Amino acid sequence: MVDLLLYLTNGIVMGTSYALCALGVALVVGVMRVINFAHGEFYVLAGYLSATFASALHLGIFPSIAMSILCVFFVGLVVERFLIRPTYGNEMYSLIITFILYIIVENLYLFIFGPYPQKPPNWVSGSQNLFGLFYYGNQRLVSFVTAALLISIFLVVLHKTWLGRVIRAVAIDREMASLLGVNPTRINFFSFGLGCVLAGAAGIVLTPIFPVVPTVGVGISLTAFVVVVLGGMDSFLGAVVGGLILGIVENLGVAYISSGYKHLFGFVILILVLFLKPTGLFGHRQFQ
Amino acid sequence: MKRANLVSWCIAFVVALILPFLVSDYWLHSLISGLFYVLMASSWNLIAGYTGQVSFAHAAFAGIGCYTSGILAVKFGIPPFFGILTGIILAALLSLTLGALCIRMGGIYLSLTTLGFSEIVRIIIQNEYKITRGTMGLKVPFLFGNYSKITAFYIMLAAVVLVLVGIYFVLKSDLGLQFRAVQNDEIAAASVGVPVVFVRLTAFVMAGSLAALAGGLYGHYLLLITPHIPSLDTMFLVLAMTVIGGMGTMAGPVVGALFLEILSEYIRVYGEFHVLVFAIVAMIFARFFPQGIVGFMGNLIKQKT
Repeated sequence: MVDLLLYLTNGIVMGTSYALCALGVALVVGVMRVINFAHGEFYVLAGYLSATFASALHLGIFPSIAMSILCVFFVGLVVERFLIRPTYGNEMYSLIITFILYIIVENLYLFIFGPYPQKPPNWVSGSQNLFGLFYYGNQRLVSFVTAALLISIFLVVLHKTWLGRVIRAVAIDREMASLLGVNPTRINFFSFGLGCVLAGAAGIVLTPIFPVVPTVGVGISLTAFVVVVLGGMDSFLGAVVGGLILGIVENLGVAYISSGYKHLFGFVILILVLFLKPTGLFGHRQFQ
Repeated sequence: MKRANLVSWCIAFVVALILPFLVSDYWLHSLISGLFYVLMASSWNLIAGYTGQVSFAHAAFAGIGCYTSGILAVKFGIPPFFGILTGIILAALLSLTLGALCIRMGGIYLSLTTLGFSEIVRIIIQNEYKITRGTMGLKVPFLFGNYSKITAFYIMLAAVVLVLVGIYFVLKSDLGLQFRAVQNDEIAAASVGVPVVFVRLTAFVMAGSLAALAGGLYGHYLLLITPHIPSLDTMFLVLAMTVIGGMGTMAGPVVGALFLEILSEYIRVYGEFHVLVFAIVAMIFARFFPQGIVGFMGNLIKQKT
């Protein structure tokens, strides 16, 4: 029973970060109809940058986090401008471009940062006794709270502000939005950067717990894709719920079935969803 | 086929026939790998270049081909020839199931599902080390008889020629016309009675079985099959070769595969960073010359005449 509670806690903590990362995919797919294969690479970039800024420039934890998020945003904008923009309307072309981008970036990380795991300093130390049953690292709890907070901020911005309304308008109907005076190209530009920032935020939150190596990016992207398909590609709420479900399923699966198959559970979910309800849990339409 | 094209294909074939006697043992190995990639890229081109669907499971199907026949040979002593045949049938059945599951739902879903499938295959092979020997690799017997690179080369070459001729006739048939109709405009194709899902599924199953054939032959040539064959790295190479050579052309994947294979010999001194060089070259082509080497050269020739 204690074990089960621990695995559930782990699942929810992980799942929140999955959700944060998957919101970025949901945003980019929703607005631009582009699957960004290099999504996880922005997670890795944020992790490496925050570690490097903290260790090499001797910045504090929070200035280095702020700087790395800013860098991720600008790298995202550059990628959108020079690589994604020529592919508008041709989803196969964008798949190929972002897949090649993922290989380039992964090998660049290997070249620049080397194959050894790196990690930014912990924000807090020590641990808490949860429910009077087990001890749980403070860093994990703080990461969980931060991720949950960021998700809430994102959802509020998306549903309550002018910016969110414009983004949703473009996602729902491009032509209509542009007739009403929205510049869809600029929204694409900004949404892609924001999507990368969401992946980067997940990296910032998770790398103090799980150090980054150059090759984790693809796993992060795949997890985010599974979450988005599970939740429904056109639903942001779906990405949040899907992230939590995947986090819990993975952790229970690791505990009770086999730890070698940790990443398999996600793909089994993916194929089951496609078979049973292709629009996902909260989705309404399929993307062509 | 135009006469000039036919002549250049014939010249390429004759050169390939005498090549093993002209090059060193080391280069012969590169050539055999090159032929493997020609098979992989040509069959991937069948789905990506002609029906416009990006499948990421191609390397996984090659892995299914080589592991099926390898395990059959090691555990049950079945000759590689029948093993490869079983591998092809298994890959065809799996691609039929996978395709039936997701092809009706449009491009993004196919890409994501095949990606998931490819990771499932890799994870299972790595974890079931009692059967597959995991990352250690599985030792398998040679194709038949005694080990000889020249035999392997000619078997590979025969497979390449058969597959290329087969693909050529498929593309020339009504089915090939339907492939391109589906690629250019799905709705228009459906409105004139092209069974879109069936056409896509056919291309997907064909490509999957050909990948299994390539993987099986290559595995029994290497004598050691590792999870590197069904990995995303191999998938990337196949994709890069097709893109660099030229998607949607017969000669593109052949040119691209041989180009990258030869390039890799010259930049081997940079160690593991040769993948980075490949990726940058592929990106430059994908971004600035989307028709690849073959399409680019074709345009040049057209402009001159």
